[in-house]
Amino acid sequence: MIKYVIKRLLIMIPTLLAVIFIVFFITNMTPGDPGSLILGQNASKEDIAKKNEELGFYDPLLVRYGKYVWDLVHGDLGNSWKSGRSVMKEVLGRLPVTATLAAGSVIIGIIFGISLGIISAVKQYSITDIILTIIAMFLASFPGFWIGMMLILLFSLALGWLPAFGVGSFKHYILPWITAGCGFIASQLRMTRTSMLECIRADYMRTARAKGQKEFKVITRHALRNALLPIITLVGMEFGSMLGGTVTIESVFSLPGVGSMIIEAIRLKDVPLILGGTISLSILFTVVMVIVDILYAFVDPRIKARYTK
Amino acid sequence: MANTVVDIKKTTKKKSQFGEIWHRFKKSKAAFAGLIIFTLILLVVIFADVIVDYDVSITQNISQRLQHPGGDHIFGTDNFGRDIFARIIHGSRASLFIGVAAVAVAVVIGGILGAIAAYYGGITDSIIMRVSDTIMCIPFMLLALTVVAALGTSMINVIIAMTISSVPRYIRIVRAAILPILGQDYVEAAHSVGSGDAHIIFRHILPNALGPIIVQTTMSIGSQIISAAGLSFLGMGIQPPTPEWGAMLNEAKVYMLTHPYMVIIPGIAIGLTALSMNLMGDGIRDAMDPKLKD
Amino acid sequence: MSENTEVKNVKNDNVLEVKDLSVIYKTDERTVYAVSHINFALKEREAIGLVGETGAGKTTTALSIMRLLPERTGKVTGGEILLHGENLLDFPKDRMRMARGEQISMIFQDPMSALNPVISVGDQILESLEIHNHDNKTKAELDARVDELFELVGIPANRKVEYPHQFSGGMKQRIVIAIALACEPEVLIADEPTTALDVTIQAQVLALMEELRDKLGMAMIMITHDLGIVAETCDKVAVMYAGEIIEMGSLVDIFEGENHHPYTVGLFNAIPNLEVETERLSPIDGMMPDPADLPPGCNFAPRCPYATDACNAGTPEAVEVNPGHTIACLRFREGK
Repeated sequence: MIKYVIKRLLIMIPTLLAVIFIVFFITNMTPGDPGSLILGQNASKEDIAKKNEELGFYDPLLVRYGKYVWDLVHGDLGNSWKSGRSVMKEVLGRLPVTATLAAGSVIIGIIFGISLGIISAVKQYSITDIILTIIAMFLASFPGFWIGMMLILLFSLALGWLPAFGVGSFKHYILPWITAGCGFIASQLRMTRTSMLECIRADYMRTARAKGQKEFKVITRHALRNALLPIITLVGMEFGSMLGGTVTIESVFSLPGVGSMIIEAIRLKDVPLILGGTISLSILFTVVMVIVDILYAFVDPRIKARYTK
Repeated sequence: MANTVVDIKKTTKKKSQFGEIWHRFKKSKAAFAGLIIFTLILLVVIFADVIVDYDVSITQNISQRLQHPGGDHIFGTDNFGRDIFARIIHGSRASLFIGVAAVAVAVVIGGILGAIAAYYGGITDSIIMRVSDTIMCIPFMLLALTVVAALGTSMINVIIAMTISSVPRYIRIVRAAILPILGQDYVEAAHSVGSGDAHIIFRHILPNALGPIIVQTTMSIGSQIISAAGLSFLGMGIQPPTPEWGAMLNEAKVYMLTHPYMVIIPGIAIGLTALSMNLMGDGIRDAMDPKLKD
Repeated sequence: MSENTEVKNVKNDNVLEVKDLSVIYKTDERTVYAVSHINFALKEREAIGLVGETGAGKTTTALSIMRLLPERTGKVTGGEILLHGENLLDFPKDRMRMARGEQISMIFQDPMSALNPVISVGDQILESLEIHNHDNKTKAELDARVDELFELVGIPANRKVEYPHQFSGGMKQRIVIAIALACEPEVLIADEPTTALDVTIQAQVLALMEELRDKLGMAMIMITHDLGIVAETCDKVAVMYAGEIIEMGSLVDIFEGENHHPYTVGLFNAIPNLEVETERLSPIDGMMPDPADLPPGCNFAPRCPYATDACNAGTPEAVEVNPGHTIACLRFREGK
């Protein structure tokens, strides 16, 4: 098993290099150059060109890519063109906000999404099932950032219970968590329901009942364990899309996360910041997916067996 | 007598596989509701100019700015005094078009690449799948954002951005749908009579893989509409003064605490559109694959 | 187990008796008459074969006895199922639950899907023992019993930590059998236990079941469409067609008797016979009627070469042609 884990981690390296290359390649096309951002609008063309030359801006793409990866390995993401500050510092300063937001919403999604999904499946066609299905359908259809605005109108403006913007305390995170969690609850609920329904119809359920097993245990011991397998993968993928999705939510709640940094950087055409932000979140996502893969292998004996030999 | 009954059943069954799906689709109240909402939205898209003049949606009128709903403007006016009702009506075109176009282009490209990967296998398959796996490692919204940042904000670029970000998904779906078909006898038969690759792919394989592809397509239009709205909301999509629901939310954000209707109305428009697509997607899935239902 | 002894005091030597049982499946669109007014009884150690085409109602009968019909759609509309003289359809839920596995067990058709893929096979057998552990045996004792069961079905006990995917189909069916027999039930229902297996493995599994029935002395219902299996394993045979038992009798009655329901005759003509040279097999013309839309009279009438107007008038009663051998066909009404 340890062999499998190591193998999986090693495969991750070329994946990461490829991810960085794609982001690097796309961002490279962004109009804008360091010279004009650093020296300001009043600088002469020659000065700007000189500055660009100095910074290696005119080097071939692959050379710059190589340098970037080399620096990244040494913990350096370059400096912002606009402010000159270290991108790594900036990203590390903001990452906790984004990570807290993503992690919190994933937890909310897991707790509510999975448990409600189980209820919905077990009580298929009941009123509870219908109501839950409708709620999930609505949560999946309305944009998360808009739901966030509605929550602000309700809980901050009308009721005055929770702060609407910024960070500072635990309370500031409650609305963003719920907002980001909503979409997650919807997808988890639907997925768990489908997965559970499939397992509930499986032949081994009948075997378990034929043994005289209690219905509750038939569900938890036999159906749930099988139903959770595909859900684990979904949790990983949702966490990833959450890392991207938090961009809009950070914007609604004015949270100083990596997402809002990227938006700001795009406006200023500050390429190192765009790159640094996108790449760090992509790396985080890739790592999470690998962890999920490994977890999956531990839970599913069929996959585990393939690698223990 | 029994024999004639059987014969009748056979003939009706043959010609109406589509009819059967439609019959099951109709029976689902949710799916039918989705169809009705979608039809209404489609009518709005088509007859937008009849309902209200496009000029009304972009004409600024500072004296009429930030009027609450009611009176002359049933949905009120925005910070430039533009009529929100007119902007919602005309915004439907951009919002719906981006979602549908992004999915359509992605399905075609993803479909072709997925079919090639599945059909040729080996190194072709490996390359296509490795590249798409890599793209899937970049969170969807971030990838779309970087593409828009690189290309600039315009409707076409938003569609390109969303296509690039979602093509890998369709490659996977189509490949997974095709792989089991490749082993079927009729494909072997086509090979044995010397049919060309293109002929086999387009005549035999794609039509049979269509089911899952159609289902996934309808189900993802809704989420693409939401994503497009998200890009516009971040100021990275359709630019004002062109009316578009996501962009309307972006402009309205500053005023949301004092003029909540400015954010409520466009959001409902986006939500209803996505809802109708999701309901229909679910309905089509259940209708095409009834064994999933009970 | 105290329950059991009490029950046995009810004087009746039938372990299981199905009386006038009818079952329907009801969906929004249609009502399927899966089983109609069937009767049969089983004594200790006796084995009955339920034979018939797919859709004849064999599995439905079995699931009704287990009370495991699909909850939403399946429904018993009439009749009784007597377990030692007590109608198990009236059992409270918990009582029925305890009867499952302990008094009545079932082996399912497809061993590939009957085992839970994420639980080790040993644990799946152990589960059954734990549920019915009335005399509070220790974990070690139960484990020993699991080993014993593995030996019983011919699998080395050290494989109990493995998962279903590590076993072949025949091995899996042995494990399913071990689960069913774990608590030494009085009635074993085997629903096409060998259909999903290779022919050579089929023979092994059947031999194993025979051996275990001898050893444990339970009554058995063997559901199959394979007359060969019936001949090998059963004492009695009930031929089912479109939800009804159209002929029932001892093995000798069915295989060697002179009088048969026309459907039974067709069924036998449809299997190859090595001793008699035939040009070709003669299948029965037509198809089984749609169980949601049964003919008004005898269900077999539309396909029956002897059908008369009278056959379309009403469902024929079962007639006893000689003791213990009944046929539900108008041709055998007294006087004939």
